[in-house]
Amino acid sequence: MKRHARIICILLLAALIGALPGLAQDESNTLIMARAADATGLDPHTQTAFASFRLLELIYEPLVTLDADLNVVPALAESWEFNDDATQLTLNLRDGVTFHDGSEFDSGDVKATFERILDEATAAASRANFLTIESIDTPDPLTVVFNLSQADVPLLSALASVNASIASSEAIESGAIATEANGTGPFILDEWVPEEQTTLSANENWWGEGPFVDGIEVRIIPDETSILAALRAGTIDFALLNDPLVATLLVDDPDIILNRAPALAYNVLQLNGRREPLDILEVRQAISCAIDRQEVIDTAALGEGEVTGPLTPPAFQIPTDELFCYQKDLDMARSLLEQAGMADGFTLNVIAANAEPPTALATAQNIQAQLAEIGITVEIESLELSVYVDRWLAADFDAAVAQNGGRPDPYTMYARYWTETGNLNTVAGYIDDTLDDLMAQGRAETDPEARYEIFAEFQRYITEMAPWVWLYVSPEYTAQQPYVTGFVPNPTDSLYSLAQVQLER
Amino acid sequence: MPVKIEPPVERRRGQGLLPRLLRNRSGTVGLALVTFYLLVGLFGLLGITPRPSLEQVPRDRLKPPSEQYWMGTDIFGRDIASRLMEGAANSLQVALLSVATATLAGTLIGTTAGYVGGRFDNLLMRVMDVFFALPALLLALLVVTVLGPGLYSTAFAIAVVYTPIFARVARAPVLSVKEMEFVTATRALGLPEARILARHVLPNTLAPLIVQVSLALSWALLTEAGLSFLGLGTQPPQASWGVMLSESRGIAELAPWLMIFPGVAIMLGVLGWNLLGDGLRDVLDPRLRGRES
Amino acid sequence: MIRYLAQRFIAFVPILLGVSILIFLAIRLVPGNAIIAMLGTEAGMLTENQRRALEAYFGLDKPIVEQYFVWLGNAVQGNLGLSVRHGAPVLDVILARFPITLQLSVMAMTIALLIGLPLGVLSAVRHNSIIDLFGRLFALVGLAMPNFLLGTLIIFVLSVYFHILPNSGDYVSFAEDPSRNLQQMIFPAITLGFAFSASVMRTTRSAMLEVLGQDYIRTARSKGLREFVVNRRHALKNALIPVITIAGVELGYLLGGTVIVEEIFSLPGLGRLVFNAISQRDYALVQGIALFIAVNFVIINLAVDLLYTAVDPRISYASKN
Repeated sequence: MKRHARIICILLLAALIGALPGLAQDESNTLIMARAADATGLDPHTQTAFASFRLLELIYEPLVTLDADLNVVPALAESWEFNDDATQLTLNLRDGVTFHDGSEFDSGDVKATFERILDEATAAASRANFLTIESIDTPDPLTVVFNLSQADVPLLSALASVNASIASSEAIESGAIATEANGTGPFILDEWVPEEQTTLSANENWWGEGPFVDGIEVRIIPDETSILAALRAGTIDFALLNDPLVATLLVDDPDIILNRAPALAYNVLQLNGRREPLDILEVRQAISCAIDRQEVIDTAALGEGEVTGPLTPPAFQIPTDELFCYQKDLDMARSLLEQAGMADGFTLNVIAANAEPPTALATAQNIQAQLAEIGITVEIESLELSVYVDRWLAADFDAAVAQNGGRPDPYTMYARYWTETGNLNTVAGYIDDTLDDLMAQGRAETDPEARYEIFAEFQRYITEMAPWVWLYVSPEYTAQQPYVTGFVPNPTDSLYSLAQVQLER
Repeated sequence: MPVKIEPPVERRRGQGLLPRLLRNRSGTVGLALVTFYLLVGLFGLLGITPRPSLEQVPRDRLKPPSEQYWMGTDIFGRDIASRLMEGAANSLQVALLSVATATLAGTLIGTTAGYVGGRFDNLLMRVMDVFFALPALLLALLVVTVLGPGLYSTAFAIAVVYTPIFARVARAPVLSVKEMEFVTATRALGLPEARILARHVLPNTLAPLIVQVSLALSWALLTEAGLSFLGLGTQPPQASWGVMLSESRGIAELAPWLMIFPGVAIMLGVLGWNLLGDGLRDVLDPRLRGRES
Repeated sequence: MIRYLAQRFIAFVPILLGVSILIFLAIRLVPGNAIIAMLGTEAGMLTENQRRALEAYFGLDKPIVEQYFVWLGNAVQGNLGLSVRHGAPVLDVILARFPITLQLSVMAMTIALLIGLPLGVLSAVRHNSIIDLFGRLFALVGLAMPNFLLGTLIIFVLSVYFHILPNSGDYVSFAEDPSRNLQQMIFPAITLGFAFSASVMRTTRSAMLEVLGQDYIRTARSKGLREFVVNRRHALKNALIPVITIAGVELGYLLGGTVIVEEIFSLPGLGRLVFNAISQRDYALVQGIALFIAVNFVIINLAVDLLYTAVDPRISYASKN
């Protein structure tokens, strides 16, 4: 017993001492990446979690993709063309592309993919964006023609989505797509251990330039403070960060590079206009007027973020002073409440997910303090993500602090909320003819300037109706060691450019 | 397995608990800490804090400790000292509520089971074993998930965890006491069972229970903090020491006072109940009397 | 002896059944749904048919009582069902992570005993000395320090001041690389073992104090035996029984109570697994883990009882009945 104790003692001491000089990192050519949340599944068409996209976009590719300025650029399609009235889209596919299992990519795979997405039984996440597709022609293996029921300009950018990734027709037929990742992308999935680790290896036969690393090892580190520690310890090369508090610690760190990309996702206070007293326009407007959006950013996100209107894609943004009540105006807020007969205030129940996004609870707390100034008592209900999503989908809330995903095109971004037929239109809590009408015009209009004007009007109108109070966009963060080169942050948060990354240790 | 039989505690007249406790070093320090903690908690409960604990002063956010803000401010510019006081009140409520519930339920189950004996005893104790077979935190996690996070469900969760412990603590002395002469004698006199239980059996279980209560309070504090740390206990904006620590994690590097003060508060709180428990045990348990000076 | 073992095992059956029923009911009272939890924030696109198909696949569409008996029948045969989140048999998922938690717990207990036992003995033998004071202070700090605070502090100090990190999501098993594995496990083990060492110290100390005050020790001493021999051969041996009890109970709890430490140190063990499983409403997995932990717990209790006989020959189970 005693001898054992002694041996164990020595072993422990040795381990302690061994740990102190720092853990040597082997100099392999594999990129080690850390992130807090793991993918929730491998089926590219049904996954909706951002965390899943970040994995699947390395494995699967869509027909087109978006560059850092949100321009549509070629991926599996080399070129494309709308006919004059935007009712037919023809795409020319890249030649010589193979799936990871070795099978050839051709127009049959594209047709099978979109038929699967359009099949209601698939429950594809992006189905609503492709409903104008009436039929798909494949005149030859490298040409695909989408015949549309009506003009649909946003279709093109809707194609640039993980949820519109091309899968092989065999995998779709056999059902293997649900469990096996077989794409055309730069990386091949070797192993996925949920909540722990994902191993990807470079696709030697990828059509593009690269990848220049041998593979990517994705580690799930649930706590971002630990990710930060790992970056500093040099045990990881690259990391995705969500928490602005953690990101601010890296701003002045000379050894770690922090990438900030303007994001499309927006933080918003959703009001449920189907509940009293939020069904009164003036009440919603009063809430909007009482909130200093910059103060929310300064406190909840430590100043990391920008005040935003409803549309986050840069090409469609308008100056915030054109929007209703973007300057805090307590007098106006009070008089609006008075007009609504609610001068004494009321109690507002706000739901927030407890860690998603990391700033949600802090945002709710600051709003609580601000709304108290006009006599509105905010009760915060902090919910676990799954419960939050349940309630959110059922529109079972007075108000919700949410971070919703953005899209480069305003129509694809908001059709689900602000049209009569949008599948999340109950969650939006408000709809009127003007909104529906503006969205319909925006979808059909082909002239970019006219579209911009339509959506500028949309933003002015919707902020005045104040169904939601748009707050801010937080930057998308990635952090990396200085020797990692070639990564281009993308507003869609896409990691696709990891294919171009090199390790120059 | 041999069951240790403890002699029934006799009331010592003329020597109150407090003076005896004050002659005990652990007891004195523990009592002082607990009293301080109770006072702070009381002030917190009544809202007598340097500043309103929820007041946000955005221009004063993340200020280090100063004359104006004794313990600094957080990202909203809320006063940490005031929030610690409110936190004391909240964790105190959870701790007292949960331990009171567990003590009542546990004592009731334990004494009844021990007194009635037989199959009834067996059944109740097996049920308690079921709860024992699950680690405390896991059990508490489950209960909180079922009830939804919040102050009361946290208190309930901790009560569920501690009820079986109190049941065991209460049962053991009952087993030994109920066969003793004075009990059999009163039974022979035809007194109602409930009255025998209340008048003669229960007082003898008091000593171990009091010690256990004090220790359980320290554990309840820790568990509440742990649950809050995992995001399942007290819900923001309400302050609890666990919540404050959990909130501080991301920015402790920037603002260490956000971690230091709640950390010290938790430790002192737990320490106080522990020392008090030790002191009480020394004073109430004759076998150990005189060992600690 | 064998008869005693058999009796104990039979006594476990109702406990395990109770645990399984308790967990089964509890998790079904939980708000939220595994499927929604799996699909995440934008799950609004799921059609009713799709949802029902998924529920049927995971057996969530039957009445609760039926679900329970189906599960129980399978569990008896070692089939704990399919994890929604991992798409793999629950038992496989558990067994893959159990070694980590087991190693962590055993290391924590080793650390606790290595610190707690000698400190407790010394404190008792040198009662009321400086050593005793130090030992008791150490124990008090140990008891009062929540493990999430200690873990956070350790990571904070290591990463901010030393720029090292014990583990960054790249856990390696002891078999793969012993030294790296120990480097990764040592700090979490210290975090877990610290509070544990405090309770070991206190138990040892008070047990020793009690034993030292007893007649046979005085006799041994008066016989002229050297203090050291008395302490070691007579006192410590008798004082060990309560220490074993504490160690056993704590080990049982550790095996399922490492949630926070595993979460802080990103170790893919059972604790983190169960925490994720609860928040993701992975029913089968939560049930499986709870049952698994309960089984561990009763086995450890049994082992503790058997250890008593080894330490104290006066206790014998064979002679019972």
